[in-house]
This record gives sequence, structure tokens and C-alpha cells, in this order.
Amino acid sequence: MSATLKRVGIWLGLPVALVTVWWFASAGSTDFFRPSLQRIVQAFRETWLGPRFVEEVLPSLARLAVGYVLAVILGVVIGVAIGLSVRTRALTEPVLEFLRAIPPPILVPVIMLFAGIENTMKVIVIVFGCIWPILLNTVEGVRATDEVLTDTCQVYGVKPLRHLVLQSASPQIMTGARQALAIGIILMVISEMVAANNGLGFTIVQFQRGFQIPEMWSGVLLLGLIGVALAGLFHLAERRVLVWYHGSRDADRR
Amino acid sequence: MLIVDRLSKVYDAHGRRVEALADITFSVAEGEFACVVGPSGCGKTTLLRCLAGLLSPTSGTATVHGKLAVVFQEYGRSLFPWLRVRDNVGLPLKDLSKRERQAKVEGALEAVGLTDAAGAYPWQLSGGMQQRVAIARAIAYGPRVLLMDEPFAAVDAQTRADLEDLIRDVWHRLGVTLLFITHDIDESVYLGQRVIVLSSAPSRVAENIKIDLPDERDQLTTRGDARFVELRARIYAHIQKAKRGSTS
Amino acid sequence: MKGLLGLACFGALWELLPRLGVVPSQWAPPLSEVVRALGAEARERRFWDAVTDTLVTWALGLGIAVVAGIVVGVVIGAVPLLRTATASTIEFLRPIPSVALIPLAVVLYGVTITSTLILVVYASFWQVLIQVLHGVADVDPVARDTASIYRLPKVRYLYWPTALPYVATGVRLAASVALILAVTGELVIGSPGLGKQIALAQMSNAVPQMYALVLVTGLIGVAANVLARFAERRALFWHPSVRREVPA
Repeated sequence: MSATLKRVGIWLGLPVALVTVWWFASAGSTDFFRPSLQRIVQAFRETWLGPRFVEEVLPSLARLAVGYVLAVILGVVIGVAIGLSVRTRALTEPVLEFLRAIPPPILVPVIMLFAGIENTMKVIVIVFGCIWPILLNTVEGVRATDEVLTDTCQVYGVKPLRHLVLQSASPQIMTGARQALAIGIILMVISEMVAANNGLGFTIVQFQRGFQIPEMWSGVLLLGLIGVALAGLFHLAERRVLVWYHGSRDADRR
Repeated sequence: MLIVDRLSKVYDAHGRRVEALADITFSVAEGEFACVVGPSGCGKTTLLRCLAGLLSPTSGTATVHGKLAVVFQEYGRSLFPWLRVRDNVGLPLKDLSKRERQAKVEGALEAVGLTDAAGAYPWQLSGGMQQRVAIARAIAYGPRVLLMDEPFAAVDAQTRADLEDLIRDVWHRLGVTLLFITHDIDESVYLGQRVIVLSSAPSRVAENIKIDLPDERDQLTTRGDARFVELRARIYAHIQKAKRGSTS
Repeated sequence: MKGLLGLACFGALWELLPRLGVVPSQWAPPLSEVVRALGAEARERRFWDAVTDTLVTWALGLGIAVVAGIVVGVVIGAVPLLRTATASTIEFLRPIPSVALIPLAVVLYGVTITSTLILVVYASFWQVLIQVLHGVADVDPVARDTASIYRLPKVRYLYWPTALPYVATGVRLAASVALILAVTGELVIGSPGLGKQIALAQMSNAVPQMYALVLVTGLIGVAANVLARFAERRALFWHPSVRREVPA
């Protein structure tokens, strides 16, 4: 019991200390641009824990979800197709290298040309940015399929595509999916900051332009919390899906 | 049964031509246990891969009559790490009904003494146990021919002895035709009814010796038997000759 | 060789599809028009100023992030107490999207390179830090004991060489992230650079010019990746096993 308590204590120790320092150091601040933490928290409660959450935050998250899922599906399907064929890989490699090197946020103006500033644009931006880590990691993962397993499938008449390829590549695909999530959040915000009329990013920019500083800070805080929450959720999901992988790595290490 | 007729395999690797198998001819009768030995690099694995259909011969034929199963040397890599033992053993049986599959899996695991490990993941087991799972998978598949590629080379001596006795037991029970590749001469004489000795690459069959030891083999007594020692020495001499004579 | 064919096909499609009207040319002008616009850009002083601005922001931000990441990483990594105490803070701060800082930076530092620099440094720092922490943690216990016995200064003879491949990976990852954030900052905040030029082109609806600038940015990204991978391979050439990139 006390061992768990100790671990929780260590885990929370520094963050709590830092927040406390921030609270007291900023208390009674008269700097317009750096309000006290207390004021920020108050603004947080007023701004986000109300109808605005449903009107602005949920649509943003929904767009992220749709774009992300699409990127995962497309990235895995195309990645498997490319990974299985040496010829296709050689053919497409330079093109893919170039496309993935384009910083996704600067495609927002490009995509705006044909998708306007509505939901479609934002989802397309997210898909285009998220697909690269997933696609490239899928190709790598498929390439690295163990030949002994491939031989085993051939001998026993087991279809590799159904029973081997995706499972074997899944740790690598998860790495790509994790990177894609971080990019997706960034693009969700950027697409709304650059061109939008609603959404979390748009709202924060409005606060900034309207000099509603504590509200702006609270928006930043919310973004941070969303980032941490989504990363945590992903971590939990990954641990479930890759139970076998982590187990076998631990066994190797012993 | 399996028949190898004038099998040859030439590799083209980076512009170099490597003749692994020159002219291999032998056959293994229905239900027979045959071992293949030879100096390292003589193409034993190439021979097995041709028989298993994983490689196509350059010329000649390697034919297997009936369903075949393979047990690879790298047991750690031949089992699917995301599947539990029972699912690994049952994977090739996807065409059967759930009940039939379960029955076969249970029977196979019992035959190798791993009934308790059915729910474990392969990486939770020792090397010897993992190889048993691979053997169980081959058993459950119900093949007429079983090919084994130096399956016990990577386990410790104690485990190897247990696995050798296990495979003879399995062979007796199932009546499969068994081709067992090994570099260990003692093992080949202990296990087989016949030992096929290969020369160095480009390999040919140097010798095809019938092992006329009694069918009941025992690690302690058989290995001390005079005839065992004689056969072993004969094969050893052949391999030494094969190694020296490879350039002549 | 095949790769060039792939590029050529891509280029051909980019040229033909808009010309044939399959893709409306307001959406995407043909490649030749984009190249022509690029040529026109290359003759303008402001283009090269923008390229320089972006490269400076990128290099400066990357440099600061790498130095900070290495220093903080080695210090934290070498002291187990610090490691456990800071683990949670790092896990909380890491996933905070760097773009969340944009409004803060603009409000506190205005539309200047400093704001974008903050963005770049923040995002890149984590890439380097995580890799360095894994590198320091990866120290072989036998090597550590040896260093203890012979009283060798740990940082120089133990942590740094072990961590070096990880540092190289971290720099490669950070380089790509840094470029993305640099250009993003220019686009959104409006600090001078290619990103800002793209925003201006979009506002004046100069579509071929916009595509030309995106193309240039992509090429810079490719060059950065190639350079970073080259440097990483140089740092890793002596390494017995190429370390797999630790998931960032």
C-alpha cells in the first residue's frame, strides 16, 4: 500500500510543485499579458465548461477523429500494398519522400483552393498530414516480416495477408499512429487558426485578436490538456493491442 | 514418401554462381525415418527447402507424396508471437470446425507433453518448449511427411536428448515419413533407420547407410552399443573425406 | 532507377491532369506553370530573403533545441533521482501541441522571428530529449562497472558514446519537426520566411506562385532529411548494431 502511495507521490511530486509555484508566483499579477494562474483557471471554468464546449470543442475533436481514422485506414492499406511489392516500393519511394517532406500546415492554403474553409478542408488537411507517418511505418513494418514466419505460412497453407502481415507489422504501425496523432492535433488547430469560422483553434485566435488574454491562456491550457489526454488514451490502447509485443520484448531482455 | 531425383540447385548471388546441390538422388520409403548429415555449408537446408516447395530446383525433382509439414531450426521465429500456444498449434487447421480443431490441438499438445502450456504465449516458454509447440503444430496438421531442419541444434544438450526421444515417439505413433536434417552425427545414427551423407558443396550423396540398430532406442544403452559406434565412425570418416576431397 | 521513373510519372500526371481539365486549373495549375512561377520567384530578391529567413530560423531553433536537449538529457539521465522525479513532468509536457504556444508567443513577443523560434525550439527540444534519455538509459551495465573500477569520468567515456547514436536519431527527428514548425510559424504568425510568402501568395490568389513556394519548401525538407540521415549514418558507422529508433 505504501509502495503505491510512494509511486503516486513521486509521479505527482514535481508537476504539483511546479503548478503551486506558478500559482503563487503569478498571484496578484497586474501584467496584462501574463495574468495570474487563478485568473486563468477562472476564465477556463467560465469559457469552456459550458455550451462552448459542445459548439466549438466537440466539432474540432470530431474532425480530428474522422481525419485520423481515414488516415489510418488509407495509410495502412496503401502501406501494405507498397510494402509487399519490392517493385512498387522502388517506384514510389522518391515521390513519397518528397510528399512527406512538405510541412503539412503549409498545405492549408493549397487545400483551401478546392475545399473552402469548411469541414472538408480541415479533414483533408488532417488526413494529408497524418497519413505519412502511418504509411511509411506500415511499409517498414511489412518489409520487416520475418521470413521464417512467411515460410511457415507457405508450408501450412496459411494466407499471410490474413494472418501474418498486419499482425507482424502492428508494432511499427502503432509507432506511426502515435506520431500521426501528434501531427493531427497540430493540424486540427492550425487549420482552424488559418482559415475557419468555428472550432477550438479559431476561438483561441479570436480571443488573442480581441485581447481577451485570460480566455486565451485558458484556451492554451485546454489544448495542452487535450494533447495529454489523447496521448494517454493512445498509450492505453497501445498497451492493450500490443500486449504480446511488450511481453516478448521483456522476455528478450531477460 | 519422398523422392529426390538428380536434384541440383544453383544460386545466382551478386553475379557469383554458387552451386549448392550438384546431383542429389535418394528416396525415403513410406513411414521411414531418414536422417541427412553433411559438413557445414553442404546445402542441407537448400535440400529441405526444395522438398518443402519453398525453393524451385535448377534441375531435377524433389517430390513429396502427401501433405507435408516442416519444423524449422529457429523455433523462436517460427511461432506467431501474438498467438497463444493453442492458437499457434491450431492455425493451420482453419478449415476444420471449432470442435474438431480443438480436439486435434489438445491431442497434439498432449503428445508433446505441453497440455498445461496451452494458454501461454510462445515467448513465455523455454527454447525446448517452444520447439515442442512447433512439433505439436506439425502433428496437429496431420501430415504424411515431416521435414525437420536441424530442429534441436539450438537447444542445450539435456533438452536435445529429451526432444530426440520425443520425436522418435511421435514418429512411432503417427507413422509419418520423416526426413531429419542434422549436423550431429551421433544424433543421426541414434534417430534414423537410414542416414544419407552429403558431400561438401556442390553436394552429392556420398553414402546412403541403413542403420540396423534395434527399433527400441535408448540414450544410455544405444549410444554405447558396438554397432552404434561402428556406424558412427563410418559416417564420421565419410564426412572427413567429403570435407577434404571437396576441392579434388 | 525505378524511383526516377516514379518521379517522372508523378510529374507527368501533374502536368497532364490539369491540362486535360480532369483537375480544374484553379485548384492546381500544370507543373510547367508552377516551374515557370518558380523561375520568376528565383529572380526576386524577396524570395531568397525568405529562403534565408526560413533556413536561419530552422537552423537556429534546431541548434538551441539540440544543445538544450543534450544537456538536459544527460543531466537528468545520469542522475537516477532526477530521472524518476522528472518522468511525469516530461510525460505531461511532451504531448502539449506546440501550436498551443502560438497565441501566447504572438501576444508576448509579437510578429517576430522570436515567436516562431520559441515554437521551433519547444517542439524540437522534446524530440532530442527523449532520444538522449533513452540513450543514457541504454548504457551497458558491464561497461558502467568497468568505468567505475577504472575510475573513468562517466560522462565522457560512458554516457556520451552510448548516447551518440540516439542523439543522431534525435537530431534527425528534430530537424524535420523544426522545419515544419518554422514554416508553420511563418504562415500563422507572419514572421518573415517562406511560410509568410505562401500566405501572401494565397491572399493575392497567385496560385502558381503559391504552389512554387510549397514545392521549394518540400525540396528543402527533402534536403534536410537526406542531410540528417547522412549525418546519422556517419555517427552510427562504428556502431555494432544499428539501433532501432526509439518511438518518439
